[in-house]
Amino acid sequence: MSALVLKGVGKRFGGLQAVSPFDMEIARGKITGLIGPNGAGKTTVVNLITGVYKLSEGSIKFGDIDLTEAPRHEVARAGLARTYQTIRLLPDATVVANVMIGMYRLQSTSLLAQMFGLPSSRAETARFRDEVYVLLDRFGMTRYADYPAGALSYGDQRRVEMMRALALKPEVLLLDEPVAGINDVEAAKLGEIFRSLATDGKGMAVLLIEHNMRFVTNLCDYVYVLDSGELIAQGSAEEVVNDPVVVKAYLGEFEDA
Amino acid sequence: MMEFFAPHLPLLELIFIGTGYALSQAIVFRAGTFSVATSGFAALGAYCAAILTVSHGIHPAIAVALGTLLGLLCGLLLAMPLARLRGVYQAIASLAFVEILVALILYFEHLTGGPLGLHNIPRVVTPWMLFFAMVGTMALLIILGQGGIGRAFDAMRQDAPVAASLGVNPTKYHVLSFALSGAIAGLFGGLDALRNFSLTAEQFGFGILIATLSAVVLGGRRTVFGPLVGVTILVLLPEIFRPLAQYRQAVYGLLLVVVMAYLPFGVFDSIVMAVRNRRLGRSGMVASKATS
Repeated sequence: MSALVLKGVGKRFGGLQAVSPFDMEIARGKITGLIGPNGAGKTTVVNLITGVYKLSEGSIKFGDIDLTEAPRHEVARAGLARTYQTIRLLPDATVVANVMIGMYRLQSTSLLAQMFGLPSSRAETARFRDEVYVLLDRFGMTRYADYPAGALSYGDQRRVEMMRALALKPEVLLLDEPVAGINDVEAAKLGEIFRSLATDGKGMAVLLIEHNMRFVTNLCDYVYVLDSGELIAQGSAEEVVNDPVVVKAYLGEFEDA
Repeated sequence: MMEFFAPHLPLLELIFIGTGYALSQAIVFRAGTFSVATSGFAALGAYCAAILTVSHGIHPAIAVALGTLLGLLCGLLLAMPLARLRGVYQAIASLAFVEILVALILYFEHLTGGPLGLHNIPRVVTPWMLFFAMVGTMALLIILGQGGIGRAFDAMRQDAPVAASLGVNPTKYHVLSFALSGAIAGLFGGLDALRNFSLTAEQFGFGILIATLSAVVLGGRRTVFGPLVGVTILVLLPEIFRPLAQYRQAVYGLLLVVVMAYLPFGVFDSIVMAVRNRRLGRSGMVASKATS
C-alpha cells in the first residue's frame, strides 16, 4: 500500500526558513502524529502538502502521483482531505450542504448533465444526500441537518468540518488540531473515530497535528516532533515523549542552581 | 383583463428584459465573482441581432441566437484575464470592458451607426416571447443551482480557498459563470434590440449597469427570484410615485437606501431566510421538548 512520502521538503518565506528540509512518511492504516510547540511550523507542513504553499525544495509523492507542484484542487482530487486549525465552514449554507460539497471529488456526471438537470445528475445528488445522512448519523448530528452551519456551537462546527473531510472518502486525512477547544470526553470519542478510520480495512492514512501530548500518545502509531521549523525527533509515541530533546523543546531546560 | 394590461405592456416588457439582465448579473455573484460586465455582453447581443437583421436580412430568431452565442464567447474570453483578479479589482476591470465596448460601438460608425445609433429595426419581439425567455432562463438557473454546479458556485462564493481544498477547480467555475452570464445577457440584449425600433450605445452604458446591479442587490442575489423581485420594484416604484412629481427621484433613492440598510440580503432573500428561520425555530423547540 502506498503512503504519502515527503522528501527533503522545506519552505522559506523570503529569507526566513519556516521549515527546514525534512523527510516524512504518512503510512496507510496508521495514525501518524505531528507535534510541536506553538509556532513550530506544523500547520505550514499541512499547507505544503495540500498545495496552499509552494515548496521551496523537496518533493511530495502519493503512490505514483507527484503532488510537488499540484494546486490545491488537484491535491484534493488525488484523495487528500484536510481540516483547518481555525474552523472554516460555509457559514450560510446548511449542515447538509456543507457536508455535501465535500463529495465534489466523487462527482461523475458531466457539466452539461448538471446544467440541464438530467436524470443522471439528479440521481447523483440524491445518492450524495443519502450518504450525507449516514455521516450525520455517525457523528450524532442528524437533528441539525437543515441548520445554517454558522449557527452551530463550536464543537458541532468542528464535527461538520470533520464530516466534510470524510465526505471526500479520502485516502489521506490531514487533521489540524481537530480536538482544540473540545473537552476530554468528547475528544476521546473523536479519537475512537480517527482510530477506526485508520484501521477499518480501507486503510486510510491519518496525519494528526496536536499539541495535547496525552491525546497524541494514546492515539498515534508514529510521531514526528517539530520545533522552530526543525524536525527534532521521530519514533513511537513512548520513545518520543521520553526523548530529552523533546522534553527540552516542550518544557525548557532545567538549570543547575 | 387585456384592457387592464394593455397600457402597462411596456412596463411588463421592461420587467422581463431587466430580469434577464439581472439574472446574468446574479449568476456571477453566485459564483463569488464581482464582475459587472453584463451590460457589455448585452450590447454585443443587441448589436449583433440588430445588424444581422437590418443589414443582412437574416431571420430574427437566428440573429438573436447568434447574439447569444457571441455573448457566450465573449464571456469565455473575458473570463481568462478576469479570473486572475478578485473582488473590487474584478469589478473595475469589467467596468473598463463595458466602457471600452461602448467607445468601440461609437467609433465603428459604418457598422453600428455610431452616436446616431441603428434605426428601422423591425419590432418582432412580443411581450410573450420576453416572458418565456425569462421563465426559461429562470428554470435553467434553478435546475443548475440544485446540482453539482450550484454546490460548487455556493462553495466558491462563501470560501474560495476551502472550495479549492475540496477539489473544486476555481478557474473552471469562474469561466463557466462568465460564459453563462454572457449567454444570458446576449440573449436578452438581442431581444431588447428587436422590440425597440432603434438602438444606441448609451443604452448599455453606466446607467443600465447601475440599474442592474441595484436590482440584484435590492431583490436578493442568492435566489433566482430575487432579481425578478428587485427589477419589478425598480420598474414599478417610479410609476407609483408619479403623483410626487419632482420629488419622485428623491423618494425613490431614499427607499433604496432604507431597504438596503435594513434588508441587506435583498427583499426576497430576506423573506426566504425569515421563513426558514421560523420553521427551524419551531422544529428546534419540538426537538428540545422531546429530549427534556
